[in-house]
Amino acid sequence: MHHEDDQGPPARARVAVGYTATEAGRGAVAAGARLARALGADLHLVLVVPDTARGAVVPPDPGYEAVLRTSAASWLEEAAALVPADVPASTRAVRAESAAEGLLEAAHEVGATHLVVGAGSERGLARFGVGTAASELLHSADLPVVVVPLTDDDGRGGGPAAPALSRVTVAVGTRPGADVLLEEGLALARAAGAPLRLVSLQVLDLPGRLDDDAVQDTADAHLRAVLDEARAAVPDALVEEALVVRGRDVTDAVGGLDWRPGEVVVVGSSRLAAPHRLFLGATAARLLRAVPVPVVVVPRTRPEGGPA
Amino acid sequence: MSATQHPAQHPAQQPAGTPAPAADGGLSSKGLSAGTVGLVGAVVIGLSCIAPAYTMTAALGPTVSEVGYQVPALVLVGFVPMLLVALGYRELNRAMPDSGTTFTWATRAFGPWVGWMAGWGLVAATVLVLSNLAGIAVDFLFLLLAQVTGNPGLADLAGNAVVNVVVCLAFMAAATAVAYRDMQTTQRLQYGLVGFQLLVLLLFAGVALYRAATGEPGSEPVSLEWFDPTAVPSTAALAAGLSLSIFIFWGWDVTLTMNEETKDPDRTPGRAATVTVVVILTVYLLLAVSLLSFAGTGETGTGLGNPDLQDNAFAALAGPVLGPLGALVSLAVLTSSASSLQSTFVSPARTLLAMGHYGALPTWFAKVHPRFFTPGNATVAAAAVASAFYAVMRVVSENVLWDTITALGMMICFYYGATAFACVWYFRRQWFDSARTAVLTLVCPLVGGVVLAVLFVTTLVDSTDPDYGSGSSVGGVGLVFVLGVGVIGLGAVLMVAQRLARPAFFRSETLRRSDSLTDLRPASTDREHA
Repeated sequence: MHHEDDQGPPARARVAVGYTATEAGRGAVAAGARLARALGADLHLVLVVPDTARGAVVPPDPGYEAVLRTSAASWLEEAAALVPADVPASTRAVRAESAAEGLLEAAHEVGATHLVVGAGSERGLARFGVGTAASELLHSADLPVVVVPLTDDDGRGGGPAAPALSRVTVAVGTRPGADVLLEEGLALARAAGAPLRLVSLQVLDLPGRLDDDAVQDTADAHLRAVLDEARAAVPDALVEEALVVRGRDVTDAVGGLDWRPGEVVVVGSSRLAAPHRLFLGATAARLLRAVPVPVVVVPRTRPEGGPA
Repeated sequence: MSATQHPAQHPAQQPAGTPAPAADGGLSSKGLSAGTVGLVGAVVIGLSCIAPAYTMTAALGPTVSEVGYQVPALVLVGFVPMLLVALGYRELNRAMPDSGTTFTWATRAFGPWVGWMAGWGLVAATVLVLSNLAGIAVDFLFLLLAQVTGNPGLADLAGNAVVNVVVCLAFMAAATAVAYRDMQTTQRLQYGLVGFQLLVLLLFAGVALYRAATGEPGSEPVSLEWFDPTAVPSTAALAAGLSLSIFIFWGWDVTLTMNEETKDPDRTPGRAATVTVVVILTVYLLLAVSLLSFAGTGETGTGLGNPDLQDNAFAALAGPVLGPLGALVSLAVLTSSASSLQSTFVSPARTLLAMGHYGALPTWFAKVHPRFFTPGNATVAAAAVASAFYAVMRVVSENVLWDTITALGMMICFYYGATAFACVWYFRRQWFDSARTAVLTLVCPLVGGVVLAVLFVTTLVDSTDPDYGSGSSVGGVGLVFVLGVGVIGLGAVLMVAQRLARPAFFRSETLRRSDSLTDLRPASTDREHA
């Protein structure tokens, strides 16, 4: 993956964006551009065209292939036009069996640090309320995947002078693995000059139990400890806020939080994931649906020698 | 993977209207899914497109009613014009690969007016077959339910017009969703489905032959005369039968036209086409001979001349031949119709898309779906027309499936004929370059085109008779004639409307007339999608 470093000066970091000519795709480009600006990275816009020879019923047709090629080219042109002038961008169309497969391949080819995708418009239909491609990525990617909800208000009027990211919220979990999460949040906040907010979610999923108070107290203390530990790990000056939020469920808990235009939230993938890979946990999945800003899903562990 | 990286590009730095070279280069570097289809894959695609179980159940009755016992002869003879035209089709597909196929080729050879009508013919034929396919599927769904539950009353539900139309529209909606979202059957599943279909048809034919040979009442001994086309009672019957037998090979041409997509482009398409046609001919001849022998051509009971089973011969014969195993035939026809719906949806949608692209239809048709990469709008339009057509026909016609199949044969002759002549004319300056070009671009398509033109005109004239086909008529004229002329006339009206609304295509501004030699010169790029 690092073979590119062999040739010439070190390549600039790249943020890959999975583009489709839809509202979700345009949202992904806007969010990707903001992230790229924050990281001082180049933007790489990728359009995946499905492999037409994958079926066994419809005969392959070179004429229609040509139509798809020109469509893909003009869509990518439209996508490039959406990128602000100060963010260098390249485009690429790839052919793959599935969108997720093509996006991962293209992201690896350019050594992208992040892969940005739109959440898709099929809310409620797909299992996680995200598009098929995003959902597949969230169960297989080995790099941070940024899922951009359709409701994202990116503050597009901001212009180049505005900070690239207004705030970075890290959803600190209750379990080990938070260090990678904090690193990611810290890196984003530092690069963008944005404040950091640490949030710990407490979901009271057993209401009405006799020992409710005791459970809550224990959980509370535990979360506080995790949060304090997280807070201790990052420089104080960066942390704007560190808080525990409670609710009957994730949506309820998240409902109490305020969000700024241009904010992102960082969450970790599930412990079920294979090392260095994503596997969207139940809490993270619910968070994804409840939060109106882009969600950066980070693999639980870093690949050996990977970017810190 | 030569072009993985491209310099940063901004729209401002790019001349307007030029496709992004990065995108184009990136995609072509991986090729047109080159070399992914092997011999078996190509044969399976061919068999799926032809859909022998569906085709035979729909065409056997109407063909018997035209030519009696000479169906096997017609199967053999009907293949010839199909082969001749398919050879020309392949030459055109090599020279001008374009999603508009017949529409684009005929426009390039003969100009916008002929091209428009040829494209319309293709769309009309495929829309007709879509409605027929869905209708057959409905019959077999209820038959299968009846066979499985042991309640014969269920099969009669298909005869209830309201139930029939509602279920048929539901089928059509499901097939549209599959085509719209480009949900592909996996290779393994499709191999299984095609294999199952062939095995069931062989079992069906084998048992019918055995029972006929062991003295089934009403059976007829097999005779060599059945293979003799000269024994057909009249030339009118021969023409009608032939135009039906063109339909049974419809779809076979795709095996010939898959070139660079195959693993071995020099040999695979030819072998695949040969294997496919041998399989298809074997199955058709076995079925025709065995069912003729089992049931005879009588006009009562299970006789294939019985008007009540013209629509759907297998539905009537599966039970008498196979007994409880008849459900297998229903299942084979259902799966066959499903794959055929899937592959058939593609051609009108892509042709409508190309017509929209070149301005022969509103640009709405030219939209490629941004997530599914299908001709989404064109697919929905084709489905809507096919559904409406079926619903209307169900009310108007006594035997909707019979009449649509006959009209379909006629429309196939129309647009295949136009394609064949387009091939002859487009290559006119290269006819005598070699013996190969003389045969493939002049002799074969010309003979094929003339045969189809004769069949088209003969069928059209004969179908004015109110007794033609199922005997449905409108105002004293045969329904098939009304259908054929109505469809072509409607096309002409829409063509003039589009000429008035957007004349660019009709002034040859989007797609120019040309010939093969002119197009070989490097300067000619006008046929590229802009």
